[in-house]
Amino acid sequence: MGLRAYVARRILQLIVTFWAFFTLLFVLFRMMPGDPTSMFIMDGMTPEQREQRIAELGLDQPLYVQYVEYARQLLTGDFGQSFIYRDPVIDIIVVRFMNTIVLMGTALVIAYLIGITFGAIMGWWRDSRFERGGIVVTLIARSSPEFWVGIVLLSVFAFWLGWFPSSGMRTTGGELGGGFVARYGSADFLRHLFLPALTGAIVYLATPTLLMRSTMLDVLNADFIEIKKAEGLPERTVLYKHAARNSILPIVTVMAIATGAAMGGSVVIETVFNWPGMGREMVNAVNNNDYPLAMAAFFLMGSVVIIMNFIADLTYVYLDPRVEYE
Amino acid sequence: MVEDNTSRRRVLKGAGVAGATGLVTSFAGCLGDDDPDVEGADELDEEVPEIHLVAPTAGTNPFRNELASIIADNWEEIGFEVDLEELEFGAHVDKAVVQQDFDASLLGWGGTPERIDPHTFIYDMHHSNNTAEGGRNTPGYENDEYDELAELQVTQVDEDERQQTVYDAQEIIAEDQPRTYIANEGGYHPYASARVTDVDPTLGEGLNSFWNMISATPTDDDTVRFGYPSEIISLNPMQDLATPDRQFVRLIYDQLYRIDEDGFPSPWLATDDPEIEDDGMTYTLEIRDGVTFHDGEDLTVEDVEFTYEMYADSPTYSDLVDVIDEIDTSGNEITFHLEEQYAPFTANVLGQVYIFPEHIWGDVDPDDLVDFEDENWTGSGPFEFRDWERQAELQLEAFDDHFETPNADTFIRIPGSDTSTLVNSLESGQIDMVGAVPQPTAVDRVRDDDELDLADFDAVGYAMVEYNTRREPLDDRHARRALSYGVPKEEYVEFIRDGMGTVTHTTISEHNEFWHNPDVEEFYEDLEAAQQELADGGYGWDDDGRLHYGADQ
Repeated sequence: MGLRAYVARRILQLIVTFWAFFTLLFVLFRMMPGDPTSMFIMDGMTPEQREQRIAELGLDQPLYVQYVEYARQLLTGDFGQSFIYRDPVIDIIVVRFMNTIVLMGTALVIAYLIGITFGAIMGWWRDSRFERGGIVVTLIARSSPEFWVGIVLLSVFAFWLGWFPSSGMRTTGGELGGGFVARYGSADFLRHLFLPALTGAIVYLATPTLLMRSTMLDVLNADFIEIKKAEGLPERTVLYKHAARNSILPIVTVMAIATGAAMGGSVVIETVFNWPGMGREMVNAVNNNDYPLAMAAFFLMGSVVIIMNFIADLTYVYLDPRVEYE
Repeated sequence: MVEDNTSRRRVLKGAGVAGATGLVTSFAGCLGDDDPDVEGADELDEEVPEIHLVAPTAGTNPFRNELASIIADNWEEIGFEVDLEELEFGAHVDKAVVQQDFDASLLGWGGTPERIDPHTFIYDMHHSNNTAEGGRNTPGYENDEYDELAELQVTQVDEDERQQTVYDAQEIIAEDQPRTYIANEGGYHPYASARVTDVDPTLGEGLNSFWNMISATPTDDDTVRFGYPSEIISLNPMQDLATPDRQFVRLIYDQLYRIDEDGFPSPWLATDDPEIEDDGMTYTLEIRDGVTFHDGEDLTVEDVEFTYEMYADSPTYSDLVDVIDEIDTSGNEITFHLEEQYAPFTANVLGQVYIFPEHIWGDVDPDDLVDFEDENWTGSGPFEFRDWERQAELQLEAFDDHFETPNADTFIRIPGSDTSTLVNSLESGQIDMVGAVPQPTAVDRVRDDDELDLADFDAVGYAMVEYNTRREPLDDRHARRALSYGVPKEEYVEFIRDGMGTVTHTTISEHNEFWHNPDVEEFYEDLEAAQQELADGGYGWDDDGRLHYGADQ
């Protein structure tokens, strides 16, 4: 099978995956007990008002009608209106989604930069004290729960030393809104970003480090490294230019998948640091039975995972011609 | 029994030395175990059906979750079979209040200021008109004698007469126990005493109260930063709103009357108490002079009239003003003619309708009211809207032309992911007040911190067990009364809630002094009394201690 056919088949799979994902989401949310009026009932919504609202939202329609309607809406790129806020879902989540991407993106970049370097050095200095110590540290980071790492960093840097704020995305009371640079480029923002991003970086650090180390070990056993060494190249050149570069391939795949996973993992970090991101909005929407908002949030996060996997597959084929199109 | 012991131990651990009395009460029931001290019916019929108790999960409400497992143990102790189901808030409300698919449900009723008037607790919650799915009479309680009293109090404009009726009504439900009224769950809200002074926690609301928000005074700058564990839905007063939303909407919009710190409606945009004619159906009042909206336009009697008409046409709030038949205006005076007598009119209608600027809302179609976006949210209240980014912050600033200018120039509301994050932010100096009760461990930290303090408040609402009187055996008053004896109210307040709140036996809180009847029948945890009650009702026990209907019942 040629490359083109492979890509075509992979795209078809992608479409089927999206459809299955969307359907599953729809069914799951409708199976959840309660409805969007539940939260108002104890605040005095009368039974008549409740019924009227349910009808307004179309929730009294048979499930398949709601399903078809929602699918039609989604195909036109419309996420609908939030049941609770009564605003277009897209307006609510775009800002939140950006906040999450900036946070988790920073965390991942730090994690992979440090992870790849650290892993390469560990592989190079096999059996050294550095390697053994490094593995222990990495494994500790890997097994620490996100919220625990967050709380430890908070206690040290926010409460004890007082260097960083404990929550939020900026100092309150300032101008809201503004362009991308104004929002995400200010020193105040970076100060707020530091601890949550570091938390994410620590948690996501282990995968690239360990993976890099083990592929390094494979590559270092390869004949061409011996030849390069025999050619009399400096150690540094062999390490970075030949060994590390050839070990990086699997990292690319893992990175794509990790990006997807990190989006989902942001919920905990956002909760601990009160970060106004997608994860928190998602939790609220689920608690309030705000189906359109909750589904859009899950859909977006899931899409990142699906698309990143897709990209990983394609990159792999591109980077390594030995990979079979099967 | 294993589960039984662990849950008790958890409670008693917190009690420490002082727990000695609690220990005696707690284990009193265990002594009799399979061999009830009370003689039941000799001839037994079939087993009493299992009781399906719906309660909150530990995540939703740790205190009530703990209480539910003790209640379930106690009920099993006196011979019932109990199926305890723990649900999240939304699912719980749906199952118990909407679907009415429960036998007993442990839930709370909030005590917002408009519920200080006894109407909600007496009429809405216990009158047989309100038993439909989603109605407030969740137990499906029906008692003709009670209904008459509940209807009578609506018509009594004379407060002393109305008080007597409300007293009588409380006596009846205390005897019938359609609900076990457990405790008014007061508590503490933490704040930074070093950064804010003049906090004013009021009945039922603590630091969320309107009076606190206009009174709180920042010490070193001009801003008060207020944290709350959830975001508000909207500032549009015509939307379906929950309590946290109203707590901010009412800063921006004014009413004719506001519920004051003592729980009574007091004149706000109105100059004085309304003049009520002898038939109790005509209310006349005068509007303050010189009030303006945030955009500088005058607030006139026409705006008030427009507002009430708009409410009448709105799909969300027409119920609120249903009782108004006609409105007249003359000069600065406005007169409301009611369709029938409605004693809580001042508190629950005049005190709840927000006055809107006609020049902004005048052309909005009634069906579009809920979606209408007035970007500046122009009202006439003591604070005006500045800016809002959801999940991040809502900024308000003092409206200097208001007759009650707030003490803070800027008031910022910061939603938190949960209460503990907010307490963290309070400790690190990023916020100044939290409108929620923290976990006991956090309370201790706040106590130890020189810069922080706790604001105490009492509650009007209460935690309760509701009994589904549509079902057996809860249709029987004896069964309900017996179950009420199985609820450890004192243990709940003292140990589980660490002293926050007060035990109650009636639907009107003791902190609502004027309407609270202090002499109703009281139900404390007493498993022997519970068994006696069941025996009196004709029930009996088999050799395993399981409760049966008596043959003669």
